[in-house]
Order: sequence, then C-alpha cells, then structure tokens
Amino acid sequence: MVGPSFNSWCVRGCIGMPSNTNERVNRRAFLTVAGSGGIVGLSGCVSFGGGEESGGDDGSGDGSSGDGSSDDDGSGDDSTDDGSSDGGGGPDTIALGQPASLSGQWDFLQPGVSQATDAAVAHINEAGGPLDAELEVIRRDTAVDPQEARTVTTQLIENDGVPAILGLYSSEINPLWDFLQDFEVPIVTPWPGSTFLDTRGGDKATPEDLSDDEWVWRTVVGDTVHTSGSAVYALENDLDTLGVLNGTTEGERSYVEGFLSVYEDNGGTVAERVEVEIGNSSYQSALSRLFDADFDAFLVSLPQESAITALNDWSDAGYGRQPILSDPLAQQAVIDQVGSDIHGAWAGSPGQSGPSYDTFEEAYSGRDGDAEINAWTPPAWDATIVTALAIQRAGEATPEAIQRNLGPVSRDGGTEVHTFAEGKEALENGEEISYQGSATPVNFTQHGNVFGSVTISTAGENGFEATSEVPAEDIREYVAEGEY
Amino acid sequence: MGLLQEAIFGVVTGSYIAIAAIGFTLIYGIVNMINFAYGEYLTLGAFVGFFAASAVPGPLPVAVVAAMIGGGVVSIALARGFFTPINHTGPVPMLLTSIGLGIAIRNAIRLFGGRSARYIETETATFRFDAVPDVPIGSVDLLGGFFVTSEHLTVFGSAVAVFLAVHLLLTRTDVGIAMRAMGDDESLARVRGIDTQLIRDSVWVLAGVLAGLAGVLMAIQTNVSSTTGYSHILQILSAAILGGAGSPYGAIVGAYVIGLALAISTAFLPSSMTGLSSAVAFAILIAVLLVKPSGIAGTEVREA
Repeated sequence: MVGPSFNSWCVRGCIGMPSNTNERVNRRAFLTVAGSGGIVGLSGCVSFGGGEESGGDDGSGDGSSGDGSSDDDGSGDDSTDDGSSDGGGGPDTIALGQPASLSGQWDFLQPGVSQATDAAVAHINEAGGPLDAELEVIRRDTAVDPQEARTVTTQLIENDGVPAILGLYSSEINPLWDFLQDFEVPIVTPWPGSTFLDTRGGDKATPEDLSDDEWVWRTVVGDTVHTSGSAVYALENDLDTLGVLNGTTEGERSYVEGFLSVYEDNGGTVAERVEVEIGNSSYQSALSRLFDADFDAFLVSLPQESAITALNDWSDAGYGRQPILSDPLAQQAVIDQVGSDIHGAWAGSPGQSGPSYDTFEEAYSGRDGDAEINAWTPPAWDATIVTALAIQRAGEATPEAIQRNLGPVSRDGGTEVHTFAEGKEALENGEEISYQGSATPVNFTQHGNVFGSVTISTAGENGFEATSEVPAEDIREYVAEGEY
Repeated sequence: MGLLQEAIFGVVTGSYIAIAAIGFTLIYGIVNMINFAYGEYLTLGAFVGFFAASAVPGPLPVAVVAAMIGGGVVSIALARGFFTPINHTGPVPMLLTSIGLGIAIRNAIRLFGGRSARYIETETATFRFDAVPDVPIGSVDLLGGFFVTSEHLTVFGSAVAVFLAVHLLLTRTDVGIAMRAMGDDESLARVRGIDTQLIRDSVWVLAGVLAGLAGVLMAIQTNVSSTTGYSHILQILSAAILGGAGSPYGAIVGAYVIGLALAISTAFLPSSMTGLSSAVAFAILIAVLLVKPSGIAGTEVREA
C-alpha cells in the first residue's frame, strides 16, 4: 500500500518534502494561530466564566416572586422606584442587586447565601418592607470573575437602578476598587475577607459627610480577624513552626498573609512556604518541597477542588503532621474525598453566633432549600437586614441615603434590635437603633468592617464540628484600633 | 526528597499530557486542523467514566474502557456534525469553529452536569523505597528514598500501553500506514486509492479514544467538572508544539519535557516563585522553538 518512505511517526509532512496540498498551514501559521488562540483563551475572552445571567431563584429554591427576589432581566430601571418618600408617596418596590457566584470555583458557597438573602427578604416583607415597599433582590452570576463582575455591577446599577449592592467577593472588589467607587453606590457584602479592605470602605465615622466615604461595607469579619483567631489558636496549641501551601489568587494569599502576620509577630516561625497554581492535576512536587522542611503543622489555603487534590496527594504520600485549613475548606466534601487522614484537621472560621443568630436560623430553616449554613450565610442575612434598616431610617432608597444610614443603624448607642420588624417599629417611633446581627453584632467600624469571635471547627467522623471558640475580645488585642 | 522523586512526579504529569497530546497532534497532522475543543473531549470522557463507574459496580477498568469508547463516539459525532462539513474551508475556519464548539460544549456540560465537582472513588496504595541511598551533588540529592502510588503506576502504564498501541497502529496496520500517507500528502494518498474520509474518521475516533482515556485518568487523580479538560489544553497544545506539531513521537517527548519542567521547577525555584512553574515550562517551549522552530522531533512544515 504505502512504501517505507514514511520515515518516522511524523504523520504530517515532517519529512520536509514540499506538499502540493495548498490548504496546508505552515508551522509559522500554526504557531501564530495557536498562540493567538492561547492568548485569547488566557485573557478570558473565550472563557466560559462570564456572560451568564441568573435570576433570583437560581440556587435558592423559590426565591422569585413570593418573597421578593426577582429574575428581572435588567431592562430598564423600572424595577426600582427611586424611593423618594417625599410627598407621602413611597415606592411600591425597592430592588437591591446581588452579584452572585452561581457558577465558577466558589459556586458551592452561593446556595447558602442565596437562601439566607431570600429568607431575609421574606422576613423584611412580612414586616411590611422598608418604607412599606416590597423589597426585591435581583441576582446575577459573576462566577467570581472580575470582568464579569464589572459587567454585572454596571447592569445592576445602570440598567436596574438598584440603590445598593449585596455582594461581591474580594477577588472582584479589589481589582475593581476605583471602578466601584466611581458609582457611589453602597456595596454591603457578606463575602470579602481580604486585608485590602481592612482600612478601605465605610463612612470614616462621619455618616453625614460623604466626601470621605468609600462605598464598601462588609458584614463578614475580615481575614485579619479570623486568621488572627486561627493563629492565636495554633500558638496556644504549641504549633510553633509552620509550613504553608497556598494558591496564587488574592483570596488565598490574603488569608495566609493575615494568618502569618499575627503568627510570626507572636513567636511563630514559618519553615517553608510554597505557592501553587490552582487546578493542577497533581501537587506532589509542591508537597515534596514543603515537607522537606521541619514544622509542626501546615496551613493549606486553596480553593476546595484544588485543596482536595493536594490533600489526597498528601494522604497518598503519608506526610502526616497537623493540617490547618483555610475557612472555605471546612466542608464535608473535603472529608468525604480525603478520608480519615484528614481527621483532626481544623479551620478557624468567622463565628456564627451573633446576638440574633436564632432569629436567622429559624427563618433560614423555614425556607425551601437545604443549603448548608456556612460562614457567609449569616452575614448574607445581616447584609440584607442592615441595608433595609438603612433605607427605613433614611426615608428614601437612594444610594447616598443608604450610605449615610448604614453606620447609624448598626453602631452602638441606640435601641438594640434583632429583627427588621423591631428596627422598623423603633425607627417609626423616632428612636435611634443598633442592629444586632446574626453573625456578629454588626457594629460597623469607621472602615465598614465588623468584628466577631472565631470558631474552630475540627474534622472528624461526623464532619467538621465546632470544637473551640476564640472570643472577639481575645482577638482584639492583635488587631490595632483604627487599622481595621 | 531527591531529584529522582521529582522526576517520578514529572513523568506522571507528562504521561497525562502525552496521552492527550498524541490525539491532538494526530488531528493536526492528518485532518489539518488545530482543535481547540479537544479539552472538552477530555471532559466528556471524564464524565462518561464517572457515570460508568457510578452506574456499573464493576472494576475501575470498566469505567476507563467506557470513557475511551465514549470519547471515540463523541469525537466522531462532533467531527461529522461540525468539522467534516467545513473540511474544504481550510484550517482557519475549522480552528475558529473548534473554539466556538469548545465554548458551547463547556457551557453545556456546566449547564447539564451541575455546578459541583464529582469524584471517582478509588483506593490508592503507596509503595515506598526508603532504602535508596542519597547521592548528593551540592544541595541537590540525585537519588534518595522515593515512593510511587498505584495511581502513578496506572497512569504511566496506561501511557506506555498507548505509546505501543499507537506505534503498532501507525507502523503495522493498513489504517495506520494510510494515516501516515495522508499526513505526508493527502492528494497523493487519494490517488493511490486511500479512502481519505475513512482515514479522517479513523483519526477522529482514535483521538477521541485517547482523549477519553486521558480525561478519565485526570478525573481519577483530581475530579470531574466542566473544566477538567479545558484546564489542561494549553499544556497539551504546548506539548504538541514543543515536540513538533503533527508528530506523535514529538508529542510524547514534548509532554515529558513539560511534565518534568513543571515538577522540577516547583522543587527548585525560590520559594517566592514556586507559583510560576507553568511559566517555566512555557519559557522552555519558547526557548526550544527559538533554537529549533520545528520542535524537538519535527522538520518545519512548509506550505506548498
């Protein structure tokens, strides 16, 4: 059939004989096209991460009409009256925007946050709603992709006309910081732990003066707080030398930096630190390098899927020693996939025991949906409630009014309220209020942060169980006043 | 750990890439297109393997075979549906079609496959060889104790089996020889009576089978998700280019060069730079192409 002139495995013109097939591409063209395609792919232009919109009920069961969540397509700003209550005519509906991780590597955390937000919206509407209007939430997917977050935020603010945003991760806020500030729309988010936000955000303790404001508030304690709590706990347990394995993204680095800041300042030593790319098929080389060093425990800060791969590699290699996990890894899936070797690993997470946690839990469990409560779930409830209270106090649903009132409804000094109904009643009676949240007391600092305890959860046969608590006051001494 | 252990890790990583890169480079060499949707073939193979492992309470090889068959079927179906009809338009339209098809498949998998990663349950045994003496040269230990796992052996064994099978196919069978003939000169092959469409279809099936195998092996090591294959497509593409596009031999060599570069750079880069191991692998790719533009194994392909 074909003679032995085919002198190698090279099945595509590799013998150098000019081909008479004029549709062939030469190598230069191949490289050019392939390189261009690669660059395009790397740049995210052909990424699948963005472009998908999600309605309000995605991942949250019935979060659309009945409870006020909406899957509005964002055409026009008809979903939100501007909220002006002057003249006695308040808005019929008030829509808040929620950028969400409905897809992407953090999507496993979104169902709980969606369910908590929808529960809060229902709770608020049952109490008559802010300014007697029906509250809605427009939820759109960003896949935790900054470019997609930029688009979604613009759509929510410009098209839907929302006066406040109830989401965005550190990975989205940090690179988009100036862009988001330019909108001058308050972002009250349950997600970001980044130390970047420790001194950015909030009203600078001057609620009426917007000139010095930065428009981000977070209802979850920052990495500085719970990583400090974790570091304190590690030192208290004589884990004096540490190995670190972390990813290269903002969230993973931020967690490690926060942990090490307190750990090293208080006598801990880092024997080795290895940074890895996420999504690798193997982390054996990184682990080999890490475990060449001598240390008492090793800290893992990676997204869940990569962490499971790495911890499986760790288990296979039999390296042993005490694992310390970043808080997103305190998930049943990690135990299920890694097996009993991971038993005894612990993670420090933001405490979930704010003054009104029971109120939250009752409303949350009454919702359709069975999403697991995680460290961001109660803060999502708090973000919605405190924003609604700010609208109620302001008497209008405009970005500026909400920004001016987030501090006053949350800080100490007023009547302590645990629900929207209590807060609304007190405000209507002319009282000042201090919302007591479900995750923390929600006393916003000048930089828009909250402070709370840290729960230590340890992996065991029954999953991650809370085994210790580091009180907020113990952590306070490691976090300087004014720097958080 | 010594250099030997790092080399083992690199060989395992290279084996994943090599299996997939052979399929990728065969498509380029014979069908004359750069298939950017190839990563999704791996993903689909991983999903088929996962569902087979879940549905059939049999040994894992059953799932692997199912993934290979599934990969082959998917590949020929997609080729018939999207690539064969535009075969005459040339490589660039086919490349663009493959990019679009890849995005569509990836999103379809995400839509219908759900958001969570899935895991194929396996038991892994670890074999230790701690008695191997150290052979230090400076700060580097050339030998030293090492370990391998049953997963490592499975991946490497699968890769060797694939290399032998592809070698025998291309050198000992009429179909394989016809593939090489088409790769050299399609018009001449046609004149000599080769059914070129049949050979193209054979290549699609073979590439799909290899993608299915690579996909399910990656899934066993990591997980099954919509990005299982996509996250490795640049490494596969790089292995093919580094080795000499169109050359299965070259793809194998290129894959192991990249695998070893990833492992060794992680081990020996300064601590603050360990996250750049992929960059090192690509730097090697660029360096090799500057010195030898045709890649390690190939001779530069010239346009007629």
